[in-house]
Amino acid sequence: MDRNDDTRKITRNILPWILPSALIVLWFLISRLQIIPGYLLPDPITILKTASRYIFAEPGSSPYAGRFIHDTAASMIRVSLGFLLATILGLPLGILSGRVAEVNRFFNTFINGLRAIPGITWLPLAMVWFGIGVRTTVFLVAMAAFFPIYLNAAAGARQINPLILRAGAMMGVGRVRGSYAVLLPGAMPHIMTGLRLGLGISWAYLVLGELTGVPDGLGAVIMDARMIGQIDMIIVGMILIAIVGKLSDTFLITLLKISFKSARRMP
Amino acid sequence: MVEEKIKTNPRQTSSVPALEATDVTMRFNVDGISKTVLDRVSFAAYHEEFTCIVGQSGCGKTTLLNIMAGFLAPSEGQVTVMGTAIRRPGPDRCVVFQEDTLFPWLTVRENIAFGLKGNRKNSAQHIKDEVDRFLTLVGLADYRNYLPREISSGMKQRVELARVLILKPRIILMDEPFASLDYRTRREMQNLLVSLWQELSQTIIFVTHDVDEAIVLGDKIEIMDINPGRIHEELHIQLDRPRNINQRDFASYKDTLHRFLCD
Repeated sequence: MDRNDDTRKITRNILPWILPSALIVLWFLISRLQIIPGYLLPDPITILKTASRYIFAEPGSSPYAGRFIHDTAASMIRVSLGFLLATILGLPLGILSGRVAEVNRFFNTFINGLRAIPGITWLPLAMVWFGIGVRTTVFLVAMAAFFPIYLNAAAGARQINPLILRAGAMMGVGRVRGSYAVLLPGAMPHIMTGLRLGLGISWAYLVLGELTGVPDGLGAVIMDARMIGQIDMIIVGMILIAIVGKLSDTFLITLLKISFKSARRMP
Repeated sequence: MVEEKIKTNPRQTSSVPALEATDVTMRFNVDGISKTVLDRVSFAAYHEEFTCIVGQSGCGKTTLLNIMAGFLAPSEGQVTVMGTAIRRPGPDRCVVFQEDTLFPWLTVRENIAFGLKGNRKNSAQHIKDEVDRFLTLVGLADYRNYLPREISSGMKQRVELARVLILKPRIILMDEPFASLDYRTRREMQNLLVSLWQELSQTIIFVTHDVDEAIVLGDKIEIMDINPGRIHEELHIQLDRPRNINQRDFASYKDTLHRFLCD
């Protein structure tokens, strides 16, 4: 019995890492056997070296050396600002439009029309409006993250069990307490999904915004490295975005779980 | 003998009814056709009286209860509480639902405390004491920190009951609250309800389709017709409490009820 549990636990912990490890081994073989030449796909060791130089080396000792902290901080500020903006707008509006039919009718056509425009096509306009830099990136991130946050909050608010709302009403809950004590927790599973999707897409649009030639940021490094032909740095940038993106998702979930019982106690 | 009892009502003359429905009519539009679900339903529930409303499925019992709760407005007629017409749901008329309507993100204790927390006059200590008292009353003291999904449906109904009783509403409306429970649990819950009602002396209006349940619980029974829903008859039950289905005269009440229901 106990042993079975242990085995299951080990299996559960190993399972997520099998595929990435296998891919790294495959990658190693491919570059070692020269199946794909190094200037197209550098081998993992080179990547590791570049990454450690990028993260730990004395700044200025070589291109990109030691810029990691600064670039990540810059990117994180942009993502946070855009994501925050999208949340402040998308969450209340979504919940409102999920509960009030008139609000939904008022916004729905407009928002779905807006959503049909690919986010990338806002780039030229944003560059004209906001120039190159933080504001364009924040705008693009907010624009992209808004839709999943809004749509999921609306779905969550709409799909709340009406009997739960009735139960609240009969216990004398008014509009204000009803919103944060019944509606918000009731819609929490959907809200959480929306926020996570929104944060995920924020990182995608961050890179788009930073490709326009801002001096710092993880996306900027990738674009810059392409111009001077440093394939290894491009890959390091991609991997770091994956790691930072995953960490920010974990951070978001943890934050929600600390702040809300309903998030903590989701089945 | 039973017919005789129909006419006597010791409480009727004593005071203003706790809740009174007067000519309550409810029509719904179904595909453009108006359907009358309730037709001039009138009855009164007096203080500390246990009223059961019995009728077949589809006779509009739940609609009537929703109107009394203030969730629905009747097409015609009105419901008054202490002589005042009701307009919206309120903590003077609490509902115990048939379905599970506990807040799934709150523990048993937090669900029971929810209503009290809405009133700022309640101190934290008062809320804690009251919740502890009602947890014990419904026999869930050991389950205070469980989530609704971690307890059985019988326990959930106890929580539903406790979170309503703790608010000490003038009137408790119950919509087939024990219908989904197994026979034994249902009997336990009926006994619990009666003992809590005797201790806390509230006015209860209890909707059910189960004739035995109505006779075990009610001081009086309003018997409803179907299509359209009407009050057919009012039957006063004068059996000693605690009641059980093997009691003397139980069968004769049951016969009378069946006769009315099949008319």
